[in-house]
Amino acid sequence: MSEVHLTINGLQVTAQSGQTILEAARAAGIDIPTLCHHPMLSNHGACRMCLVEVKGMRTLQTACTCPVAEGMEVQTETDEINECRKFSLELLFSERNHYCMFCQVSGDCELQALAYRYGLDHWRYPRPYEKMAVDASDPYIIMEPNRCILCTRCIRACAEIVANHTLGLRERGSATMVMADLDVPLGQSSCVECGVCLQVCPTGALIDARSAYGGHAEEVTHTQTTCMQCSVGCQLDVISRSTRILRIHGVWNTEPGGGLLCVDGRFRPLYETRERIAQPLVRDHGKLVPAGWTEALAIVAKKLKSGRVLGLASGATSNEALVAFAGLMAQVGGKAGQTMPALPTLGFGQPAAVQDILATDYIIVAGANPLVYQKVVGYLIRRAADRGTPVALIDVPRGGLEASAVLSVSGQYAATVTEQAAQAQAPLIIYSVGLKPGVARALKPLAHARWLALAPGRNSLGARAAGLAPLEGHDLTSSRFDVLFFLLGEGSEEGGVMPRLDGAFKIVQTAYRSPLAEEADVVLPAPIWAERSGHVTNLEGKTLPLNPVVPMPDGVRDEAEVLDTLRTMM
Amino acid sequence: MAKLKLATQWLEECAGCHMSILDIDERIVELLKHVELTSSPLTDLKHPPEEGVDIGILSGAVGNEEEVQDAREMRARAKTLIAFGDCAVFGGVCTLRNFFTKDEVLRRAYVEAESTMDGHVPEHEDLSPLTERVMSVGDVVPVDVYLPGCPPNADTIWYVLSELIAGRMPKLEGDKTLKYGLDG
Repeated sequence: MSEVHLTINGLQVTAQSGQTILEAARAAGIDIPTLCHHPMLSNHGACRMCLVEVKGMRTLQTACTCPVAEGMEVQTETDEINECRKFSLELLFSERNHYCMFCQVSGDCELQALAYRYGLDHWRYPRPYEKMAVDASDPYIIMEPNRCILCTRCIRACAEIVANHTLGLRERGSATMVMADLDVPLGQSSCVECGVCLQVCPTGALIDARSAYGGHAEEVTHTQTTCMQCSVGCQLDVISRSTRILRIHGVWNTEPGGGLLCVDGRFRPLYETRERIAQPLVRDHGKLVPAGWTEALAIVAKKLKSGRVLGLASGATSNEALVAFAGLMAQVGGKAGQTMPALPTLGFGQPAAVQDILATDYIIVAGANPLVYQKVVGYLIRRAADRGTPVALIDVPRGGLEASAVLSVSGQYAATVTEQAAQAQAPLIIYSVGLKPGVARALKPLAHARWLALAPGRNSLGARAAGLAPLEGHDLTSSRFDVLFFLLGEGSEEGGVMPRLDGAFKIVQTAYRSPLAEEADVVLPAPIWAERSGHVTNLEGKTLPLNPVVPMPDGVRDEAEVLDTLRTMM
Repeated sequence: MAKLKLATQWLEECAGCHMSILDIDERIVELLKHVELTSSPLTDLKHPPEEGVDIGILSGAVGNEEEVQDAREMRARAKTLIAFGDCAVFGGVCTLRNFFTKDEVLRRAYVEAESTMDGHVPEHEDLSPLTERVMSVGDVVPVDVYLPGCPPNADTIWYVLSELIAGRMPKLEGDKTLKYGLDG
């Protein structure tokens, strides 16, 4: 890259070759309006807002696509340019329904802000009043084509960020419409509901079904925290108003996911239907009844002191809670561990980060199903495949990644993959609990490979670090234990080790009603992700912060605090 | 200095725009020092004086023949005509009926509505026929000042009127004065 010198509005600007005029101008603090441009997406040049005058060029140029050149003289705000911008806005407003009075983004709309800026006090062209059906077939995302300006940000985000390629355009000219797949309702399409399209839409054309009309930009609070729904640890920008969470955005340019989220992180936590437990419950005459903390903890303390204790942690909680849990279990001399299965070790190579998926020349996925369990990792693998990185699958269940793969084999043919990857400079092995020892051996010739181990569950590495090892394969029968203490957090008991301890006294610390909680003798309420302070450990082994967005309900206490109280009672 | 004459008329609208003129609060006193209010829904005089006014305000969209006549009369009698509010400027919420034919709209309202029994589309010589489509004021007559908003906010209304009183043409630009919809 070399330096390029140009003037913008008479100002000397130094840029890098290959930069666009827009990039050079913004780096120099000169504002050029944009609408279809988005910093996370490729440039498209559709909206004509960024038109600039370049001396010697016959027509106005789109600054977002025009590369800088030595000696270029650029003007960004002449009368002619501003007239053109206003004219483009007038055409955009005339084409569909851009009456702001009943639009949910009025006040926060990029189109509206530009119309204000360029003094568009009315428009001269008659509206065609074409009927365009709103698509509300998806539970999370409403497509409102009447508000669409065809900037294609959503389409580019769907292709370039999540690599799902669901959205596209149909027809031409004034009949052009954004469509899902081959023009099916969004709810019946291949959409994975990652919601990145919602986050980039500049108008009210893509609507978050839950938070529409819920609050303007100036009325809301942003809290950055770490997603706790799987082990990837994506950074969340949680948008709330008072104690109501409106919606969740990804935080651009943050590790691990770069701002990409999945349905499990962005939407599902806000559509929780399980019944919350907001005060301790104790079993009385066969029924679970509400109790005070003092009473409940006294019962728990007495039981922990008197019996052989088994402590099980699900990992759907913070490192602090897990450490306190392990400490309590050690104090009462109980057996303690986590319910998640063991994550094998590869035995060679160096650890990698999630973002390395986009910076490797060969990807091997072995004994893992990231598109189901660590979706953002799955999307990044597909993005790498879109860029031409070969992806080979070993023991990966069918379900999406095969469309991005050059090779998909079962474990016995792992050596074929090793041969194929041998030429790669920096192969990356992504594996999870399904990695068989034979496969690890077969991959061993790739000694220079890096690996990314997809930890199962949510915070299983945090549990590991607290000394809570997987209890898979251990004898967990009722003859050996009198008391079960289950640190369930906000998780469900599915998908992990689940002992049958009929007859044992059961203590469950959890946020929601569940079959396990119904079986318990004492239930201690726990916070959910949005209420937590503390940390989690992600699959890269990084310790990431949890910041509370909303207060815990009255009657709920942080697990670590409760567990520490119990320790003092022992 | 002689007072400027002001006339206002509402067309197809919810009356919120005229309520919003009152939203300029105590500035009304200042306004009335400079302006004489002639015909207006507020004074219940139906037609602007024949000798004309300095400022005419039309709020609401144009959706029937009577409103076309009202708009033309105001245009003919006002030196400066303000299209006041989103309906007057853009057509606004009234244009929802433009997605249907006139007959479909009348039948839906007077015959098919769930709460109606044995309904019929009313016809009477006193009832003005609907235009084929709902139009903005600017679609019917030339407009001098466009003042959008649903309703326009009080500061913008005051800005426009005080500029006209001062003999200047108001220029709405930037989000201080230019607002659409409820974004006030």
